[in-house]
Amino acid sequence: MVLDPARAWMRQLLAFAILLAIWETAGRAGLLNPLYFPSPGRIGEALTELFETGRIWPHLEATFSAAIAGLVLGIVVGIVIGVVAALVPLFAELIEPVMTLLNAIPRVILAPLFVIWLGIGVASKVALAFILVAVLIFFATFAGIRQVDRRLVERVVTLGGDRWALVRHVYLPSVAAWVMSNLKVAVGFAFTGAVVGEFVAATRGLGYLLSFAQSTYNSALMFALVLLIMVIVLVIFAIAGRLEKRLFRWN
Amino acid sequence: MLGPSGSGKSSLLRAVIGLQEPLAGTVEAELDRSEIGILFQDDALLPWRTAHDNVALGLRFQGHEPRRANEEAEAWLGRLGLAGFGGRFPRHLSGGQRKRVALAQVLARKPRLLLMDEPFASLDAIVRQRIVQDLVDLVERERIAVLLVTHDLEEALSLSDVVYLLSQGPRAHITQHYPVPIPRPRNVVHARMHAAFAPLYERLWHDLSREVGGACAEAA
Repeated sequence: MVLDPARAWMRQLLAFAILLAIWETAGRAGLLNPLYFPSPGRIGEALTELFETGRIWPHLEATFSAAIAGLVLGIVVGIVIGVVAALVPLFAELIEPVMTLLNAIPRVILAPLFVIWLGIGVASKVALAFILVAVLIFFATFAGIRQVDRRLVERVVTLGGDRWALVRHVYLPSVAAWVMSNLKVAVGFAFTGAVVGEFVAATRGLGYLLSFAQSTYNSALMFALVLLIMVIVLVIFAIAGRLEKRLFRWN
Repeated sequence: MLGPSGSGKSSLLRAVIGLQEPLAGTVEAELDRSEIGILFQDDALLPWRTAHDNVALGLRFQGHEPRRANEEAEAWLGRLGLAGFGGRFPRHLSGGQRKRVALAQVLARKPRLLLMDEPFASLDAIVRQRIVQDLVDLVERERIAVLLVTHDLEEALSLSDVVYLLSQGPRAHITQHYPVPIPRPRNVVHARMHAAFAPLYERLWHDLSREVGGACAEAA
C-alpha cells in the first residue's frame, strides 16, 4: 500500500478518533478506574465547566501574563547581553562562564529561590520564565554575532558601508535569524517557567490549578488542564511560525 | 596578475582596497576608495535582501537618493540580463545569476578601477563564458581599469592587455610582464584563436612552470 503523505493528517486524526472511542467505551464499560483514567467525556465536561463558570479566566490570565512578561524580558535582556558580550571581549570573558553554568543546570530548580526572594505573587513566575528564556536567547545572539559570515562584512565594507551600515545590514539580520529560530523553544520555556513557578507556590494560575487538581485527586480536571496548556502552546507556535515565515521569506 | 598559489595575489588586491594592511610598502592610487570595486571568487550577497536591494544598497552607500538608487539598480540588473529577477532572494537564484547580481552591485557604483580575485572560478564553462563576455563588453565600453588575479593562463591572456607574472612566495615579486597584442573590442572565444595567443601561452607556461618548479627544488 502506498501512503499519500499529503493525507497523513487524515490518518492521524482517524487513529486519534479511534483511540478516543476505545477509551470512552472502555470507561463506560467500567474497565478503567475513573480515579486514574477519566473518560474523554468526563475530561470534556471538566473543560467546559472551567469556561462556563468562568473559573478559568483569572488562572489563564495569571499564567499568560507571567509567561509573556518573562518571554519579552528574556528576549530583550538576552539580546542586549549577547550583543554586548560579542562586542566587548572583557564582558564576554566574565559573563560566558555564568551563562554556561546557568545553561548546564535545569534552571527550574531556581523556582523555590525566586519564591523566597520575590514572594508568591506573579514576580517569581516572571523571574523563572525570564531566566529560562534569557539564557537561551543570550547564546543564540552571542553565537549569531560571532558566526556572522565574514564575506558579508567585507562585501558591505568594500561597498562603502560604515559601522552603522554593518550593524543594520549584517549583524542585526543575522541575530534576528538566530533569535527567531529559537523563538518556538523560547515560548515553550516561558510557559514552563510560569507553570512550574505556580506549582511551587501561588494562589492563581494554571500551575496552581494543576497542583490543586493533584491534591484533590481530580484527574479529569488535570487532564483538562494539560489539554488546555497543549492547545495554548500550539496556538502560540502557529503564530510564531507565521511570523517566522513572514520575516524570513529569504530563507 | 598571474602567479603560483601563495604568491600573495589575493593579499595584493585586499591591500589595494584596504581590507588588509600591507606588511611593507604603501598602496598609492589616484583614486578615492569609493571608486574601486572588488569581486571575489565566493561573492556573498546579503541573503535577506532581494537581488534588487543588494544592488541598490551599494548605491545608497554612495549617497544616492533611494529613488535614484532603485532606478539605477533596475537598469544594471537589466544590463546584466537579469531583468525581472530583481525581486528574488539570492537563495532563489542560480550560481551564475548570483554572480551577475554581484557584478551589477559593483559596476552600478561606476568604479574606475575594478579588482577581481578569480571571480569566475566556481562557474561552469558555458555560464562563465557568457558572463565573462558581458563583463568584457561593459568594461571596454565604460573604460574601467581592471586588475584581475588568476591562475588560469587562458583567462589571463584572453582578457588582459598586460600579464604580470609573480614569483613564488614568500616575498613574491613581479618577475616579468607580457604585453598582449590582441586588439579590442575583444571576443573572449576568438581571442584564443588570435595569432599572438599560442606563442604567448607557451612562453607564459614555460616561465610559470619554472617559477613553480624552482620553488619545489628549493623545498627539496
